[in-house]
Amino acid sequence: MYEPKIVGFLCTWCSYSGADLAGVSRLKSPWNLRAVRVPCSGRVAPELILRAFDEGADGVLVLGCHIGECHYDTGNHRTAKRLPVLHSLMAFAGLEPERLRLDWVSASEGERFARIVNEFTQTVRALGPCTWRQRNPIPLMEPLPDTLEAEAGGQP
Amino acid sequence: MNTTTAIQDKARELLSGGQVTCVIGYEVGPRGRTRPAFVTRADDVARLVWNQECTHNLTTYLRDRLRPKGHGQTAEPPGRVAVVVKPCDSRAIHVLLAENQFQRDQVYLIGVACEGIRQGAGSGQVTDAWQRRCQACAERLPVVYDTLIGEPPEVGQVSDPWGADLARLEAMTPAERASFWLSQFDRCIRCYACRQACPMCNCPTCLYERDDSLWVAMRIAPDEKRAFHLGRAYHLAGRCIGCDECERVCPMNIPISLLNRKLASEMEAAFGFRAGLAPVLSPITTTLGGEEV
Repeated sequence: MYEPKIVGFLCTWCSYSGADLAGVSRLKSPWNLRAVRVPCSGRVAPELILRAFDEGADGVLVLGCHIGECHYDTGNHRTAKRLPVLHSLMAFAGLEPERLRLDWVSASEGERFARIVNEFTQTVRALGPCTWRQRNPIPLMEPLPDTLEAEAGGQP
Repeated sequence: MNTTTAIQDKARELLSGGQVTCVIGYEVGPRGRTRPAFVTRADDVARLVWNQECTHNLTTYLRDRLRPKGHGQTAEPPGRVAVVVKPCDSRAIHVLLAENQFQRDQVYLIGVACEGIRQGAGSGQVTDAWQRRCQACAERLPVVYDTLIGEPPEVGQVSDPWGADLARLEAMTPAERASFWLSQFDRCIRCYACRQACPMCNCPTCLYERDDSLWVAMRIAPDEKRAFHLGRAYHLAGRCIGCDECERVCPMNIPISLLNRKLASEMEAAFGFRAGLAPVLSPITTTLGGEEV
């Protein structure tokens, strides 16, 4: 059975502790999540997310502190504004935006952490394996696919 | 008095009065192609021209011209520079000022009222058609200038030359879009011409050209080229002023402007923001309250 690989970027001040709490509370959450501990959700540059997909992740979960509770005051403000832009860029480039999720989990919300990871794993499992990863060069001998302009009949 | 003479007169006045050390404008090269010109002596102002092939965004050159010469305490402050700006280029000045790349008094802006630039400008094969950015341009006067040259031209019918391509791409399935973009990006030779032509790409060391970077390699593999182009498009979100120079200089004809236009429309939908109309930062670099910290 297909099991998705999910990379989770967890803010060390809240979500990572929230994940700890979920663990010590013995809440069930899927093993699909590979947690990466980051100092702040604002640290999660879009390059990191794209890199995770390039390396074969099926989904990326970014968890940070609730707005107003950031350890660095406004780190998560930036994440909150940036990731929707990355969502639309991903969608335009042909990667289902549902594969990236941003949410907020505080250190006391172990239950919420388990619920979010469960939900997200189900979403990604339903989407199926990600075809984004593309390591092999497209053979040079093959004719290049037509560009939009050529298909439109040579109109500039 | 035509625009060329007016630019020459202004440049002569600025250079002979010592108000600026250099005037960045346009000249016609020996093969008849219009190209950027750097005039430092009042005797040379006759080189400067204005025509419908002045496609280059000259604000790109400010980052080198306005960098202090030397390092540390012996660094000399750079001289004041005058630059000829079209309406689209003048929006780049606003973005660069908001990002503190230089101060307003370091540049003298010779604004030119622009009726449009021809397709093929700079390549030696100029056609009669307007460039796509000019077909979509509703503002034919610079948004910021010290002196304005020319009369505001009449703006004809404004069209959306990207609408059809964007609609076609959005109608595709994600897998079709992914393979479309991959086939486009696979042509990339990572010459970085797009980056060099861009006034907003002004990082001293490009993230995509670092040999110690852990997450963006310099390999010429399809996914690395895609990461470069998507990353660059993302870095320009809310900053790109739509001069399309990146697409013009691309030797492999990658439709970069589609990415930039798409993100610009997303920024407008999400934040009601258009880059360069005022000297303010991109909304994705500020807090939710809108203030910079």
